[in-house]
Amino acid sequence: MPTFPTDGWFQAFIELINRSAEYRTAAADWEGDIAFLVQAEPDIRVPDDVWGYLDLWHGGCRGGGVVDAGTGERAAYVLSAPYTRWKDILLGELDPIKGMMQGKLKVRGDLPTIVRYVRAANELVRLTGEVDTVFPDEG
Amino acid sequence: MRAVVFADVGRVEVADVEAPVIERPTDAIVRVTRTAICGSDLHFLHGKAPIERGSVLGHEAVGVVESVGDDVTGVRPGDRVVVSFHIACGSCWFCRRGQTALCDDHAILGAGPFGGDLPGAQAERVRVPFAETNLLAIPDAVDDERALFVGDVLTTGIYAASLAAVTPDETAAVVGLGPVGSCIVQALFALGARTVFGIDVDPARRTVAPAAGAIPVDAARENPQMVLARATDDRGADVVIEAVGTPAAYETSVDLVRRGGRVVVVGMFAGEVAELQLGVYWARALDVRFAGLCPTHSYWRRTMALLAEGRLDPSPIVSHRLSLEEAARGYELFDRRAATKVLLEP
Repeated sequence: MPTFPTDGWFQAFIELINRSAEYRTAAADWEGDIAFLVQAEPDIRVPDDVWGYLDLWHGGCRGGGVVDAGTGERAAYVLSAPYTRWKDILLGELDPIKGMMQGKLKVRGDLPTIVRYVRAANELVRLTGEVDTVFPDEG
Repeated sequence: MRAVVFADVGRVEVADVEAPVIERPTDAIVRVTRTAICGSDLHFLHGKAPIERGSVLGHEAVGVVESVGDDVTGVRPGDRVVVSFHIACGSCWFCRRGQTALCDDHAILGAGPFGGDLPGAQAERVRVPFAETNLLAIPDAVDDERALFVGDVLTTGIYAASLAAVTPDETAAVVGLGPVGSCIVQALFALGARTVFGIDVDPARRTVAPAAGAIPVDAARENPQMVLARATDDRGADVVIEAVGTPAAYETSVDLVRRGGRVVVVGMFAGEVAELQLGVYWARALDVRFAGLCPTHSYWRRTMALLAEGRLDPSPIVSHRLSLEEAARGYELFDRRAATKVLLEP
């Protein structure tokens, strides 16, 4: 089982995205890469910030994984939050849209565009929960 | 007389300069007994703010009134006084409303052309315009060293805490525990706060937080947003005070505050730019208060009273006490963050 947030975890996630018929339909005309900044929490065994990256294009994912900060920052959309918030999202305990409005999850990029693709975003969130995940703070 | 002057970018020196004289009937000349180096003095040292070579630096001073102009009746020669770091006329529309930092004739001692080109206070003597407004008598219960802080950072702390308006049941966080942040922590408790988190990555600066009653947060070891979330049933701090003056610290402050909470921005900004998502601010109903410069004159009596009562004590912030002649060393220590606060004695 891949550990979140490692490259292996993102590869498993990408595989699920590309197998999802729901995502293919909901994001059929989506064009834009997304970076995920998982902010460090050294006291619970997440010592450094981790940048994940997805090259999302027309209902699929053309590639991605863990990238350096420079690559992540250049993405069209950047979602950032402390590790614990991401874990809450993966476990279905934090709705990302609510999280965004409550300041628990930050989004940089054209918000109105993201909002138009809420169905696709929801499917991505659901798929994160489908990845068999090891959480470093539980090891 | 001897004074600390700007010699060149990266260099200050102690030199002989002309002693100040009464220029206007509202002036006073103060013989300085203690002065200090402030973080904003470093802007001149680094060449980030303009100032002529040979200009006397500094804006924090206490001393004894030596002479006054004909129109000055509120202070007399022999009075022990603290000098306000910024100079206000005391009579314009803003001053009459207590917003003295927005004064029509606003000036700052030792701050070059943007400060009105007034000679500074790191000297044996300083001329103080509008003396009745810009000098405050020091009560016997307060010594010079502690009174010095009333002219700038301690009163800034009281001002910030007043803007924050923290109630006893609220949780406050201070981002940045330099001299101003430390004074804010003390001021929050003095004005009724009970739960204050102090956030900094510098271990030396973090030690002042527990001494003042605050809970220290090592931002290099813990994620401050999650620390505050855990302490507030996942809401975030009710009030966050930004005391650094960088976009990153501002962003952290916004991350830490709960929806409907207050962010007080005390750190000094100049040309920095930040990207704001107005919709998120609106949805979170954030109350962001930019403090600007502290209107010292509206808060320093209260600060002095709290100091006299022993409810504030800036002494732990002082790391070095040097003679005026050692000022260059003081600047060097402060510049490489080997000092938290350097006092100079002429």
